[in-house]
Amino acid sequence: MEHFAIWVAAFLTMGIFSFLYKDNAWYKLCEAIFVGISAGYWFVTLFWDNIYGKFWVGKGDDSMLYIGAFLGLLMLMRLVPKIGWISRWPLAFIVGATAGFYLINYFSSNVMRQVEDTIMPLLGPDYSAGAYDIIGNIVIAVGTFSGLVYFFFSKEHKGAFGATAKVGIFFLMITFGASFGYTVMSRMSLLIGRLDFLFGDWLGMIK
Amino acid sequence: MFNCRRKSNGLCLSIFIVAAICSLSVSVKAQSETIDSTVVTDTNLVVAAPPTSVIASEYKYDDAEALELSWVPSIDDQLVDGLVLAYRVYRATNGGELEMIEELTPGNNNFTDHDLSGDSSYSYVVAAVTVSGEYSSNATAAISPEREWLNYEKKWLFLIALFITSAIMYFIRTARKKKLFVRKIAGLEAIDDAVGRATEMGRSILFIPGIQDMDDVQTLAGLTILGRIAGTIAEYDTKLFMPVSRSLVMTAARETIKASFQTAGRPDKYHDDIVTYVTDEQFGYVAHVDGIMVREKPATVFLLGAFFAESLILAETGNSIGAIQIAGTARPAQLPFFIAACDFTLIGEELFAASAYLSDEPRALGSLKGQDVGKALAMFVILIGVLATTIASAWHVEAMQTVVDTLSSVFSTK
Amino acid sequence: MKRQIPLFITFFVGTLLILSVFIPPMETLGEDFTLFFDIIAVFAFFLGGGNLVRVHVTKLMKRKPDWGFSIVTLVGFAFILAAGLFKIGNPGDIASSVTAEGSWFQESFNYILNPLQSTMYALLAFFVASASYRAFRAKNREATILLVAAFIILLGRTPFGMALTAWIPESFSIFQIPNLAIWIMNSPNLAGQRAIMIGIGLGVVSMSLRLILGIERTYLGDDRA
Repeated sequence: MEHFAIWVAAFLTMGIFSFLYKDNAWYKLCEAIFVGISAGYWFVTLFWDNIYGKFWVGKGDDSMLYIGAFLGLLMLMRLVPKIGWISRWPLAFIVGATAGFYLINYFSSNVMRQVEDTIMPLLGPDYSAGAYDIIGNIVIAVGTFSGLVYFFFSKEHKGAFGATAKVGIFFLMITFGASFGYTVMSRMSLLIGRLDFLFGDWLGMIK
Repeated sequence: MFNCRRKSNGLCLSIFIVAAICSLSVSVKAQSETIDSTVVTDTNLVVAAPPTSVIASEYKYDDAEALELSWVPSIDDQLVDGLVLAYRVYRATNGGELEMIEELTPGNNNFTDHDLSGDSSYSYVVAAVTVSGEYSSNATAAISPEREWLNYEKKWLFLIALFITSAIMYFIRTARKKKLFVRKIAGLEAIDDAVGRATEMGRSILFIPGIQDMDDVQTLAGLTILGRIAGTIAEYDTKLFMPVSRSLVMTAARETIKASFQTAGRPDKYHDDIVTYVTDEQFGYVAHVDGIMVREKPATVFLLGAFFAESLILAETGNSIGAIQIAGTARPAQLPFFIAACDFTLIGEELFAASAYLSDEPRALGSLKGQDVGKALAMFVILIGVLATTIASAWHVEAMQTVVDTLSSVFSTK
Repeated sequence: MKRQIPLFITFFVGTLLILSVFIPPMETLGEDFTLFFDIIAVFAFFLGGGNLVRVHVTKLMKRKPDWGFSIVTLVGFAFILAAGLFKIGNPGDIASSVTAEGSWFQESFNYILNPLQSTMYALLAFFVASASYRAFRAKNREATILLVAAFIILLGRTPFGMALTAWIPESFSIFQIPNLAIWIMNSPNLAGQRAIMIGIGLGVVSMSLRLILGIERTYLGDDRA
């Protein structure tokens, strides 16, 4: 049975890879299986975790659960054309909660925290930093400052302001390059993982 | 002696555990009653002084659910040749029996006890553990956790957030009277052309609002942008399709498109099949979108929302079919891939500004000016803070140190 | 009315969540919201899953191109729902975990879903290569900066990078590629990240406010609709 299952896995693996050549029936078959199985898999997991897990196992003793269920039922009102508009209530609830939650949390973690971390002595505590560290510290301060200038919306990027914004873009591009370079190797290892499955688990060529 | 053979290991272990628990409880009980009066009768005993000055106090700014415990460690708790192996914290609820609630490593001198109730009172004993047993402190006075209604620790967060939200609201109000200047954002300037191109070519437009649900603010940003451009798409009479990976996003996207088509005077062009649910699973969704991209060959692809590893798969496939691609996300790790594979990329903040920019509505544009005030404040604080802390630390200028301390306390989030 | 009530709900809930951060008795509101959301998402799946079935049944009935694959999707969907909800093939009784080894549900994950996911993910290796190639051909200054930084970081993470610049004397060791890569990550990269993050933070504040105040409201649909 396991042998058969490995053949299935290999068939699917190669079907997805075949997309790199061009779209074809093999890929379409894999895609169709993927969509059907994964959509159902997701729902089953949600059902056991959030409905069975919370209402049955957790005995539903938290009144909050029933508010959630009530909102969920309102959502299903969409299925009744005449009162479908009621489904906007839970939607409005979600949008309001998301906006409120993100507003203050992002402000704290992305604005306050980053400003706090940027305030540091350029020369290190008590002149202790080496030349490279000092340059690094200056680069951080200048880069953060000029990067923010780039994001200004209400002022045209002209003159000294425009020049600073250009420096900002320079830093942003280094940041993107660094992220890019950092990720390349890990993506290669994913491919190696799949090749390892094909040549090892399936074909048995790698022990 | 016991002969713990393999088969009776379980039994042996159980007996040992029961014996250990019994001796432990006896020793705790005895020691909690006769503190500081441990009599040394056996020279092999490792005796340690108990922790002293154990104080249970109110945990600040909580909902009557935590207490803070502090103590002076045992004088025998030393890094080198220390006798103390651990500290055990015991708690008595409403004058009941002591029960162990936590074991801490040596060197600790405080502990926060969570998940308590404001209706009960608690008393604590801290014991220093040595190889020979436990040496307990006096029990603390009984105390109940109290509820605080305001978290004063976050006062600066509140005040600065209030300042910036007020600035945004101020500009939203003033923008009604006077149109504010907003610089050009290349990716957004290109939207009309991108939609027009699809119309000219007689091909469709694909809109992907990321792979997260409605509880991610980036998805909301994607949908607000959709709201602005769907009207243009309706006016151009171009085909729009939008496979999504979340059921709620499907519902919200349908409402958004329906409203935009209505506003554009083309409600007849709307049908539910514009937005289809595929699967919640990240790569299952990507497999489908990739497939549909090469089959439908949309002329324009919008990728606006929260993206993860799939960003590059989608963007490269879009690129391979020659579509004009306008992307945007607030996930810094995915931005480089969009920049490499798309024609225009909205970087972070630009994604959130996009719908306001596109709306050309004064109030929305005003909010952009308001967030610039936030940036100006951040830049000002960084500038002053860096200069002050550099001068203070290199030349020990006290006035500068005061500035640094003030800024640190104001912006501290820890 | 159809629009006023939702706008009020958004305003009320949004404001409440902001204030909850500063009011200890309300501080669990964020967690409560997550709970609500998880439950609403399950109910909403009936709409999404229903749409999936409808789309594929329609395709099948109308014999649209590739309708045969719709049968595969529908069968796969029905199979996994049955296997997962009725715990078919589970070793032990119905009380055992749905993901118990040996169950049809778990085996489907191991031998169908997992290989599909991993392979789709692994396609990134090829796409990273093609994107790098394109970046390499880009002629403008920004793209060049991006590429140079990417190249240094990439080399810095390989033994080749060390070997290439090992000849540089110790006093200039910062120019050895692995050290340079670390410096780039810790200094200019960090600066760019911070500017982006502060910008995002303020962008979120502004957009959330527009939502809470009802300036952005297209997601609520139209009164006439």
